[in-house]
Amino acid sequence: MHYAYPPRKDSHPAPFRPRRSRLPVIRRSHLRTILLFGLAIIGLIWLFSGSKHKGPRPITGKPPVVVVTVFDDKYENTAYSKHIQDNRIQYAEKHGYGTFIAKASDYELSGAPSSWSKVVAMRHAIAKFPDCKYIWYLDQHALIMNPHSRVEEHVMGSQKLEDMMLKDHPIVPPESIIKTFSHLKARDIDIVITQDNDGLATSSMVLRNGEWAKFFLDTWFDPMYRSYNFQKAETHALWHPTILSKLAIVPQRAINAYATADHGAPYKEGDIAIVFAQCSGTGTKSCATEAERYSQHWRSAFGAGH
Amino acid sequence: MSLSRSPSPIPGGGWSSPGLDIASSGRSSPAKMTFSGSSNGAVSWESARMKSRGVAGYPSFSTQNQGFFTRHMRRISSSLPSFSVKKDDYTEKDKNRPAQWKIPLIGPLLGRAQAFVAQMSRKWKVRALIALILLACYILFYITPLCYYWRRTSWLGGGQKFVIILAANVGGGVMEWKGAREWAIERDSVRNKRKYVARWGYDLEIVDMSTKKRYAHEWRESWEKVDSIRNSFRKYPKAEWIWWLDLNTFVMEPSYSLQTHIFNNLQKHIYRDINEFNPLNLTHPLKANYLDPESLSPVGDGNPDSVNLMLSQDCAGFNLGSFFVRRSEWTDRLLDIWWDPVSYEQKHMEWEHKEQSSLQQLYTTQPWIRSHTAFLPQRMINSFPTGACNENGNDTRIHYDQNDRDFVVNMAGCEFGRDCWGEMYNFRELSYYLNRNPWERFKEDLVAVIWYKLTGQKVRL
Repeated sequence: MHYAYPPRKDSHPAPFRPRRSRLPVIRRSHLRTILLFGLAIIGLIWLFSGSKHKGPRPITGKPPVVVVTVFDDKYENTAYSKHIQDNRIQYAEKHGYGTFIAKASDYELSGAPSSWSKVVAMRHAIAKFPDCKYIWYLDQHALIMNPHSRVEEHVMGSQKLEDMMLKDHPIVPPESIIKTFSHLKARDIDIVITQDNDGLATSSMVLRNGEWAKFFLDTWFDPMYRSYNFQKAETHALWHPTILSKLAIVPQRAINAYATADHGAPYKEGDIAIVFAQCSGTGTKSCATEAERYSQHWRSAFGAGH
Repeated sequence: MSLSRSPSPIPGGGWSSPGLDIASSGRSSPAKMTFSGSSNGAVSWESARMKSRGVAGYPSFSTQNQGFFTRHMRRISSSLPSFSVKKDDYTEKDKNRPAQWKIPLIGPLLGRAQAFVAQMSRKWKVRALIALILLACYILFYITPLCYYWRRTSWLGGGQKFVIILAANVGGGVMEWKGAREWAIERDSVRNKRKYVARWGYDLEIVDMSTKKRYAHEWRESWEKVDSIRNSFRKYPKAEWIWWLDLNTFVMEPSYSLQTHIFNNLQKHIYRDINEFNPLNLTHPLKANYLDPESLSPVGDGNPDSVNLMLSQDCAGFNLGSFFVRRSEWTDRLLDIWWDPVSYEQKHMEWEHKEQSSLQQLYTTQPWIRSHTAFLPQRMINSFPTGACNENGNDTRIHYDQNDRDFVVNMAGCEFGRDCWGEMYNFRELSYYLNRNPWERFKEDLVAVIWYKLTGQKVRL
């Protein structure tokens, strides 16, 4: 088509192309620099604000378990104490555990009964084996009978412990309003303890090393508790929720089977340890003779295990 | 009839005598009364007045056409000239029309604003931008609580990490009546902490410590301290540190934040070896053959991160008027064991300072406490007025000194024979005086002084 005249111009010609936006546009070539810069700033903030909070020193688990036994002074250098020590050392060597044998008079108890020395001895064992995972306190009148039972598996192994622990169980049987918590998992447990016919039995217990263990032992060893009646003080200590939430009561035979059925659950073949509860110093029922009866038994079991 | 008020002239002439004629300006009864009750010939006047008030007739409640400007705005604004800088005027000149003020389109507001911006020169644009930014900053920081939220956010200012617990109403309830002075003390103390907390974005928890038979054992009311700390940790899940303050304390320097004052440089301020200042003469570190090296060390593990309890000591030992606890398992254990019934049954007769004595006992006998406890110099968090701990005169370790601008003052023991309210009032005024803003300083320290020199008169500006 052809027109006689060129088309009319707009009466308001745009002097120049309008800008697209009033803000300066980020150019693509700048994009990477800006990104890097932003990342660097975020990184710096993170670096300086990062949590400086360090937890307590990690526990490596070498040795995994320390077996603690405290002897009364009267047993010092007797055949009996040698017998018991031999039992502990053989068991520990078998599994690469540590042993900690102490004397009651090593510790200043300021007049409290010598049974309190077990608390200090455990504290001492922690100081001496800061990397151990568990402390197994076993009474002087006790023998380890099953060399194949490992503490970290057969007592503290999470499946095993969760099956064993008595939930919602009164601390002082039969009637006590203070009961073990029912929602605990094995990883929460820092102390494993048993009950016999009289109540809580402290002749054998397993304690997990850590800050809690120190707290527990220190609290337990407080002079206020020592000047109190032992049994009563114990239950008072357990009243505290921070302790209850770490405590598991297991059936007696798990770690604390008794030689006779007079005071608690009797020992059966295969139990990890036998405790001669309330054995006397002398006579046919003395601890030494009681222990001697089982001497052959455990030695053969340990020998067979080799 | 006696007059309840002396007669007075009313602006329109005549005399108003209340009690005699009800049509006066001093009338206090509702206006409606006059409608039915007035029969004294003043009806026409009264009804006219009522009409002008809008009571008679229809109520004149209208939001439109209220004032002159709203009624005439449209007319005025449309008649106003608007300058156009469009360069195409000459095309119209070609048509031999005179340049004229263009009537602008009454378009959308945005369009008009755009047009306005387009008309501005570059220089003015920059100026306007700066002004806008300043205005925006002002609005952001002073009108919206942005500054507060900045200080509060845990990853910016970190104020959420701190909770102040203020123990109010100590011993109140059944034990003691609260008089005017007690109320005044409480009001001032609470306001002081409220202001401080609002400034730095912390949280304030005021706990009622009044003696109630809440616990089975009537002596154990100080359990509440432990309970309220525990509750506050639960209530403020982001709180890391709890600062306990007694009621008789006053934050003298609200411009100090806890972070700059203490926590940014914890290692420098605290001392863990109690031998540095040991009014109780405790043996430290413990001597025992069965303890681990950390418990035997005078400073624990030496890492400030392991500090879970910070308190100060006065002349008589531990002082719990102002102390810090950190949220940790250790703290849970401490709170749990603090009021141990075993210790309590044996010692409650000896322990006159209840939880303070109990803590001292724990610190003395239990190594796990020592390795996580640190002390702050008393004047950092807990300065005493001269009335407290003054057996040996003024002690620079203990007593408040305004030249050093101590952070907090604790009128400890003022309820025993001292004037709590007097001290509180003095410290409050001192704090205001020390923290005057530059304008007040200019007025009071310069203008008023010059005026005094010139005229010999003291003025209050």
